[in-house]
This record gives sequence, structure tokens and C-alpha cells, in this order.
Amino acid sequence: MAIHEPGRTLMKHVGLQFVEKKVAGGGSRATNANLSLTSMIDFLVVTVVFLLMSFSASGETPIAPGLTLPKAANYEDMLNAPVVSIHNGLVLLDGTRAGETRTIEDNNVIITIPELLTQLKARKDTWKLSHPASEQKDVPQAIILQIDQHVKAVVVKSVFKTAALAGYPNINFMVDTLAKSGE
Amino acid sequence: MAGVDVGGGGKGGRKSLDSEINMIPMIDLLMVTISFLLITAVWTHMARLEADAQVQSQQQDKDVEKPQVERILFIEMMPDKFVLTWKEGGVKVEPPGAIDVPRPPDSVAVSRQGSTEVVHYGDLAKTINEQWKANSRTQADNKKDLAILHCDNQAEYKYIIGVMDALYETKRVMGPAGGADGKKIDCSVTHLQQCETAFNVTFTSQ
Repeated sequence: MAIHEPGRTLMKHVGLQFVEKKVAGGGSRATNANLSLTSMIDFLVVTVVFLLMSFSASGETPIAPGLTLPKAANYEDMLNAPVVSIHNGLVLLDGTRAGETRTIEDNNVIITIPELLTQLKARKDTWKLSHPASEQKDVPQAIILQIDQHVKAVVVKSVFKTAALAGYPNINFMVDTLAKSGE
Repeated sequence: MAGVDVGGGGKGGRKSLDSEINMIPMIDLLMVTISFLLITAVWTHMARLEADAQVQSQQQDKDVEKPQVERILFIEMMPDKFVLTWKEGGVKVEPPGAIDVPRPPDSVAVSRQGSTEVVHYGDLAKTINEQWKANSRTQADNKKDLAILHCDNQAEYKYIIGVMDALYETKRVMGPAGGADGKKIDCSVTHLQQCETAFNVTFTSQ
């Protein structure tokens, strides 16, 4: 078969302006945008490093939903101890119900909360049973009170008194941190 | 796709020395890591204010024969003022006697930070610091001064924390580093790591 010179081709010899506009761009701005991977990865890596640095693997003491802690500037770091939460009229020891505050507020008298006292004493007894005699002098004496900022003083004092009587004289009030003066 | 050129041309049918890092799984990994860290992040930082319940121990009962008379600072929260009194063995120390510190109204003392109301009693903190310098214990015995807080049963917890925060603004260095009286280094100026609160707080049970 003889070889012929090719005939007229589309786009080159036969003008197809609408195709040129759609396909070849026709000199208009391209619809595809280039994403710079280098800067994107840089950003992601910096974010990961920042979050890793501020990550706490030890976990934080959980706060009851809706409970607002007061803020203080002259604070100390948290420690690991039983947490007594007072919020919405309930007293909770590590999330377990250990009394209610309505009676205390109504009577306006500082009392010992029986349920809380029993549970705290039981906790202490359990610790003593599970540790050898040589460690008995290190029996835990610290407790953390997680109290909503609007709770009345009579409730705070009642819980304070109960914890002290149960053998937890080192009582710590949990607060939210406020920037220290001079920082 | 991004690539890493490690040199060489890979001639003569040998395996090419150019290798490529697949960017898609790498970006996926970074995204997942960021998501995990953001979800588990804790943005509120909790701390504590320490108080000490004065429970008389059996050992203290045995030591009744040699009583230790210590100065104790009593702070009374009144609606319009704070009353500071130093007592020694139940007897008011004269001077200074009872010192009145005006209690600012809530519109001045309380500020809002989000849902939290921050109570700040600056004048009280300043007066307590001055009083501590003039009246506190003098031995470098690593013991804190005791402060007893009297407040109305109907007072809200945030005001108690406000007073405790003012009280804990007074700091000292314990032991020899702080000098014979614990006041050699001024912790209000230096912010040293060894600086501790000068007071232990407790409440009255009435």
C-alpha cells in the first residue's frame, strides 16, 4: 500500500475553537492548582512536634462535667490522691456517690458526712491490708477536693472535717491555674 | 511524586539507585497523629492549694507536758473587711493587735475569665506579707506558720480560694538557704524554685 501524505488534521488544520478553549486552555488560567508538598509537610511536622511536647501520657485528673474550678496563682503541682468531687448537690469519691450536700446546706451546720467517712476509712484500711508492715508509716494522708466555685463554705468545711477525721489531714483544693504574678 | 536522588544512573541493567518516598502514607500518618494528639490534649491545667487539717495525733498528746506556744495568724472574712489577728497560746499579740484590711466589693475583686470568676485580694496579700515579716516564727526550722481561716458558712468557695491565694502569696525559703529566719531571700522578688508558701491554712470547725 502506498504511503500518502496525511490529510488535514483536527485542531491543526481544522479550527475547533470551542475544543481549544475547553481542552487546551486557550491561554486562560489553568483550572488545576499545584499544592506545595514541602511546606505542607513542614507544617504538619511542626504541629506534631508541638502536640507531642504538650502531650501528657500520665493523664489528667478528670473533672466532672459542668464543674467549674476556681482559679489561683500561687498553686502547687498536682499529686496522685483520692479525689472528692462536690457538684450538683452530690459528694463523689473517685466518681462513686458518697453523700449529698442539700442537708448540710439546709441546716447550715458543719457535720461529718457519714457515707464519705465510711468510704475513706475503708479505702485506708484496704491500703493497710495490701501493704506490708514495713510500709505502714507511709500510709497516704493526702486527698484532693474538687469543688465547684459556687459551693457554700459550710459544705467545704464539712468535707474538710470528714476527710481529716478519716485520716487524711493533708487536704488539697484543686484549682485551675492562673498566670503567676511576675510571669 | 517526590523523590530522593541518591546518585548513580542505574546503567547496564542494574537496579536504579533512585528511590522514591511515597508521600501519601506519610501525610496520612501525620494527619492521624495530629488528630490523636488533638483529641487527647488537655487544655486546662489543674493544680492544688494545700491545706492542713490540725488533727491532734497521739504523739502530740504525749507531748502535752512541754507545750509549744506558737504564733498563729487568724483571718476573719467579714462582708466589708478582713480582720488579721496574731495569737500566741490563745492570747492576742499586742502590738499589732487586730488589723483591719478593707474587703473590696465584688465589682473590684472579682473578674471573669471564661466561665470562671477569679477572686483577687491584692491588698490582703500585701498586708499579710508585711505582717508575716514582722510577726512570724524566727527559727529556721523548716516549719510553716499556721493560719486559721474564719469565714461565714454561706460564703462561696471561690472567695475562700481568693483568701488562700492571697495568703500563699507570702513565700519563704526553708532551712539554712533562707537564712536564720527564713527571710534572707525575698521570694516575692526572686521567684526561686526553693520558695515555698510561708503558711499552712486550716479552718475553724464552728
